[in-house]
Amino acid sequence: MKRYFITFIVITLVTFSWVRCTDFPIDEDGLLITTRGQCYVSNFELLGVDFQTVRTQSAVIDTTAQTINVVVFYGTDLKNVYPQFSLVTDAKLDPKIVGKVDFSDLANPKVYTVISGNRLVKKPYTVYITVQAKP
Amino acid sequence: MQLKHYSLTLLTILVVFFTACQDEEYSLPAAKTGLNNDCIKRTLGPNVVGLNLEFAYAMALPKAEGKIISAQVEASIAGAPATYLENRSFSTNGSGVDVPVIVGSPSVNSGTKTEVVFTRDTCAATLRYFYIIPEEARGKTVKFTFSAKASNGQTVSYEMGPYNIAKMDMKLDLLLSDNNNSYISIADMAVYNSATAATNAANIDLVYLYRVITGITFTHALVAPASSPDYLPGVTLPSGVNKSAKVWKVWALRDQQLARLQYGIFIDDLDFQQLNFTGAPDYAINLRAEAGTWVETADGKYRAYIYINKIDNTKKEMTISIKRYPMQ
Repeated sequence: MKRYFITFIVITLVTFSWVRCTDFPIDEDGLLITTRGQCYVSNFELLGVDFQTVRTQSAVIDTTAQTINVVVFYGTDLKNVYPQFSLVTDAKLDPKIVGKVDFSDLANPKVYTVISGNRLVKKPYTVYITVQAKP
Repeated sequence: MQLKHYSLTLLTILVVFFTACQDEEYSLPAAKTGLNNDCIKRTLGPNVVGLNLEFAYAMALPKAEGKIISAQVEASIAGAPATYLENRSFSTNGSGVDVPVIVGSPSVNSGTKTEVVFTRDTCAATLRYFYIIPEEARGKTVKFTFSAKASNGQTVSYEMGPYNIAKMDMKLDLLLSDNNNSYISIADMAVYNSATAATNAANIDLVYLYRVITGITFTHALVAPASSPDYLPGVTLPSGVNKSAKVWKVWALRDQQLARLQYGIFIDDLDFQQLNFTGAPDYAINLRAEAGTWVETADGKYRAYIYINKIDNTKKEMTISIKRYPMQ
């Protein structure tokens, strides 16, 4: 009886150890590195300090040219906006967005790099902002 | 081995059953004797000067022991003259309506004390106390001692507080109008027209304007006088009106004391203290009803929250309510 019990425990432990040892690598941010190679921005949002959108219409995302074009309301305080990127599954963004971002230098548009789930593909996206022009 | 396990399990079950089945006899709780009292605070949110702190003070003794002859509240800082203790006791009827019964003569304020002398033969009452927060209490704490006397000589008392009294001020329902009463002074908590703004130029922090401009969304705006002329189209500022306040736009911060809506949100002194105006613009355009703006005056002396109660596109008007906190 005792021998059966010990055998059972050993088999269970070996099974668990085997399962645990299967390789699921993580990157420097603690995020899972997967097999996905897709690398694109699926949606882009820009919020003001009141957390309301400052876009006048949907952002135009060109995944071939790797550009995002956004038109914002006249008078938008571009020094204090919160960008929001929606990415393909498992991808991540560099640099990370940790708060308000200054987009006021329209001549030098900001560039964000999308990194695929397998961390092998990197695509820089340029965010072009146009402020609604006063007639 | 197996028998030993069965015995142990059986014994445990028996012990649990034995403990659970112990009979506890029920007896009717005995009513308290003597004069008793209790108190609750009915108002919520920051305690702002000019508003009231409302309490409900209940007192009772068994009928056979006597009747209540008086009730009194003593505040650590005398309330404003309008402070009073209700001389009516309220009970809630079957429809949920509070029904008043007069139990005493109207309350009398004497220094820090407010007293009601009972005129009705009653052994139980709940009186409401409205402490109107005086200017002297600003930024201090206030506490209250509620007490009652019975005809048998017994007295009881109940301590409430201390409560912090806010340093901030509040002004409700100021009407702004495009090209008329369009100048806001945070220091004065007032609205001026262009003539009176010129005489109070040093205190003007914001200009209200409403514009419909084809191709852009401008509508209702609060703009600092020193802001770019782009945000003050068609505005000729009165002489000397040139301050540069900082403005953060806010959405859905519907402070209950300003909005008087159903939302349980309160802006308190601490909120003003923790604001960071670094990099804030000097204008807010495209404002809507139920939105607001945090404002810091050019000299940094005041911070304020301007809540937009109402806008009227036809009349080009905006109704605002302000909470203001002195930083210095």
